Amino acid sequence: MNYAHLHLLLNHFPIIGTIVGLGLFLISFLGKNEDLRRGSYIIFAAIALLSIPTFLSGYGAQLMIKGPGVSDALIQRHQSSALLSLWFMEATGALALAGLWQTQKTPHIPRWNVAAVLIFSLLTTGLMARTGNTGGDIRHPEDQMGQAATSTRDTVTEGTIGSIIRTFEPAPEKFSEAVTFSKWWWTFMMILHFLGLIMIVGTVGLLDIRIMGFMKQFPTAPLHRFLPWAMAGLGVNIVTGLLAFIGLPENYIYSEVFWLKMLALMLLGANAALFYLTDIFAGVERLQAGEDAPMSAKLIAASSLFLWFAVITFGRYIQPLGDTLRPGN
Amino acid sequence: MAVPLIFNTIEQTALSTWLRESTSIFGFYFILLFHTVGMSLVVGASAVVDLRILGVAPGLPLRPLKRLFTIMWVGLALNVTTGLFLLTAYPTKALTNPDFYIKMTFIGLAVFTMRKLSIQVFSDTSLDEMAMIAKGKTMAAWSLVFWVGAVSAGRLLSETSKYVLYGHLWGS
Repeated sequence: MNYAHLHLLLNHFPIIGTIVGLGLFLISFLGKNEDLRRGSYIIFAAIALLSIPTFLSGYGAQLMIKGPGVSDALIQRHQSSALLSLWFMEATGALALAGLWQTQKTPHIPRWNVAAVLIFSLLTTGLMARTGNTGGDIRHPEDQMGQAATSTRDTVTEGTIGSIIRTFEPAPEKFSEAVTFSKWWWTFMMILHFLGLIMIVGTVGLLDIRIMGFMKQFPTAPLHRFLPWAMAGLGVNIVTGLLAFIGLPENYIYSEVFWLKMLALMLLGANAALFYLTDIFAGVERLQAGEDAPMSAKLIAASSLFLWFAVITFGRYIQPLGDTLRPGN
Repeated sequence: MAVPLIFNTIEQTALSTWLRESTSIFGFYFILLFHTVGMSLVVGASAVVDLRILGVAPGLPLRPLKRLFTIMWVGLALNVTTGLFLLTAYPTKALTNPDFYIKMTFIGLAVFTMRKLSIQVFSDTSLDEMAMIAKGKTMAAWSLVFWVGAVSAGRLLSETSKYVLYGHLWGS
């Protein structure tokens, strides 16, 4: 397994996922089908999470196939396109989660949210399609035979729509410079990353230990009201984490523990899906003071606590173990 | 101002040298990991109590939150312990850096506020929930400010230190 393989394994999910999510979302307007709409929102949120390792593995793949026979201009175009799609995908996922949260109180997703998700998911699907196309234009070294002439061109021709989107796509190097131009800005991002971590661990951790059976004085429903704070912390940490990665990708891509941290994050997503999308959540949603949670919920809560600890641990070791995967190491 | 020689003496000890130079994963970064874990315990638990007092999750009964103070003290004890190890590894680096004293001041103020909140609000059984909130509001707000200050000053340490080790300026 290498980055190119990992990227090829992951890169179809964001593209096909957004198309499927958008399709279900659009159909939900026909029959005013609220369940279908919620389903599409869940897909958007899941794809937003999966897009992160997809994007990160692309940086690694780029380093592996870079060299004679592969067009830098094509890679750069794909990278710019991916960068723009990613931010739109994350915004769509965040909006979808906000909409899902609202349905806890009201049976319907609020209109502002439906409108926002419609706009963002349409744009994201379009941008993702372009990212897929520009990615496919990069020839893999293994099928270079006889095609070298077409793939080594260092200028890229665009159609009308392509050139319009192109003007909005940031160049990765420009983006890196914007992130690393000052050590104070970098430190500020890291401060936010820590505060985000505290918000997540404080709120989710408390709910986890309550479900596990400690501090049973607390009813669960009000503890769950802290969740938007955890999600805000997660949002801050996804943004600051991605910016740090884009700023200094070499600090991360060669680090085994960095990829383990990403794996733990994906498992946390799966754990949350298991919690909310099965009847486990309904079983603990309204536990009163003193009431015990079912074993299934306790296991989910313990996994959440363990995985957050893993995220912190792997994160802390990125610096000393930053080179474990560097070729020749 | 001359750097006290005792910092050099500490740096020469076996423990200090091992903490800095060991390639074991149980060396410096292990200590740093638990310093981070301790931080999330003490600041995370404080933040939940503060936010509740300031109006988040009003359905959550306030008085039982007293139990979170135990988590805060455990986190603080963990961080004093790990902090002393970190200080043993790099005494000159920390103690010649003004930001280190800013961090300690913020922590002192935060812990003072935390204790005051525990004694004056949570241990006063004559107060009902409304009275607890009225009395604790200002403390809760300051607590958040002090903790954000402490975390920020902590992250700034590595960017603001003048020395790496005794007699060794950064980059020399």
